[in-house]
Amino acid sequence: MASSYLQPRTSKIFAILLPGILVYLLCCFVPLLFAFFYSFFNWNGGGEKEFIGLGNYAQLLTDRMFWDAFVNNIVFIIWTVIGQIGIALIIAMLLLSKYVKCKTFHRTVLFFPVVLSAVVVGFLWRIIYNKDYGFLNLFLTFIGKEEWIKPWLDDPNIVITSLAIPKIWQYIGYYLVILLAAINSIDMSILDSAEIDGAVGWKKTVYIVMPLIRNTLIVTVMLCISGNMKTFDQIYVMTGGGPGTSSMVVAIYAYQVSMERMDYGYGSCVAIGILVLSLLLILLSRVAGKGRKSDD
Amino acid sequence: MINEKIGNALRIFGRIIINVALWLLSITCIFPIVWMIYSSLKTQREFAVDIISLPQKPAFSNYVQAITEGNLGTYFMNSVYYTVISVLIAVLLSFVIGYILSRFKFRGRTFVYYFFLAGMLIPIYALLIPIFLEFKAFGLLNKRITLILPYIAFALPVGVFLVESYVKAIPWEMEEAACMDGCKFGQTMSRIILPMCQPVLSTTAILSFLNTWNEFPLALVLIRSNRLKTMPLGVTNFVGTYTVNYPLMFAALSISALPVIIVYLLFYSKVMNGMVSGAVKG
Repeated sequence: MASSYLQPRTSKIFAILLPGILVYLLCCFVPLLFAFFYSFFNWNGGGEKEFIGLGNYAQLLTDRMFWDAFVNNIVFIIWTVIGQIGIALIIAMLLLSKYVKCKTFHRTVLFFPVVLSAVVVGFLWRIIYNKDYGFLNLFLTFIGKEEWIKPWLDDPNIVITSLAIPKIWQYIGYYLVILLAAINSIDMSILDSAEIDGAVGWKKTVYIVMPLIRNTLIVTVMLCISGNMKTFDQIYVMTGGGPGTSSMVVAIYAYQVSMERMDYGYGSCVAIGILVLSLLLILLSRVAGKGRKSDD
Repeated sequence: MINEKIGNALRIFGRIIINVALWLLSITCIFPIVWMIYSSLKTQREFAVDIISLPQKPAFSNYVQAITEGNLGTYFMNSVYYTVISVLIAVLLSFVIGYILSRFKFRGRTFVYYFFLAGMLIPIYALLIPIFLEFKAFGLLNKRITLILPYIAFALPVGVFLVESYVKAIPWEMEEAACMDGCKFGQTMSRIILPMCQPVLSTTAILSFLNTWNEFPLALVLIRSNRLKTMPLGVTNFVGTYTVNYPLMFAALSISALPVIIVYLLFYSKVMNGMVSGAVKG
């Protein structure tokens, strides 16, 4: 902290801070007040707003569609925690090996999809899954597993998995780089002595490395949760929530309620519901992560 | 002796396996993008005959068609406009706020600090409909400035905290010396500290560039007019209407991905480190 004689007056400080604070208030906090206010009304965008108290919230609690969508979000989270963090951890451990050549190259290439927009990734994978022109089916035919070919995005039973794969594909590099940074900060002598004691391969990963980078793992799980609760673009362009409503997620649902059904009151309530649920999930993952810490 | 040889052979074999596995992973990872780019240079018939083969003779006609029929030129320029303005302002505001928060003690400092920290916890996607309703009430929908505001706001938390922790590491003697030499507060900030923060500011700029250029849901709900639509919106409309002409779709997708691909190829290590430090701080 500065010595005071160099410090401008508080009024001047706030004058400088003001534009940033205003924009930030306008786009991050005021919208929540609006949504909270509107969530007590029955309002279809016209002039008439009917105050219905907690009516929208009562409806939300029993709205099958919303909770099904939320379950889909949870399934996405589970898929991507296993897929992204799991695969990223395996790759990170492989990259740790002294005998791997071109480490920077691998890292850079694996990270590449992260910078693409979800719209581009969504459309690209829609074509990859295409039954005539997608190379997934071509590849399956090539390796002689034609019987594995499925209507990837049109079968309600597998559509969630089909949508999770592009997500996993896109973000492995992201988690890889985060985990690598954490692993590289581990004291190498610990790993060396672990190896001498016979902890190699997966044993080294599970018993030595994972406990040492636990905090980073918690962060990655939280990133997975928030990354998946916001899933919108990719599903919007790949299936639009379909077939039927089988790949509906909460963000798409909020969009449909508000923008397609013009049910602004209930849409606001759904938005508040999403906010509360995602904060709860993040809190839960924090508590779960901390809980394990106190055990050992 | 023999055991040792077998052991050695196994070890070498293991090393080869690890390398091969990583190469396979990397290739799997990059192939869809490469496929998208080279397929955009094929004709529709060529693609129908063989989806994997390289184009016999690169055809740029898809690009011409995408730009003329899909109006992608306008959308591209709109995205450039939104991105340049919001990145510039976001970097400037992040610098000023981060600098003040890291250097000075004043009444309300803790509050302002947590105010910006809270932004990293509030899930922005839950704000999609609320922002729409707010902007509707304020008459801010569908204007040139509409998207700029949230794009700046969403870039601020990460930017502020990157700058804040960076400035902390700059010795206070810098400002003292500047003060001795007669620099006023504004001069010290802009002439002395700003240039020193160049690395962290470029990280902030790259991060907000990527987020802004790729942003889709807000543009979808806040913008209606074709004149103001962004690249992701334009591509979604365009690709939706040409569902059978895949090379044309690839061309449109490649155009929209081009800027981020170029930025990534130029600054890949900065992009990787920046995204990671931004994420881990949050």
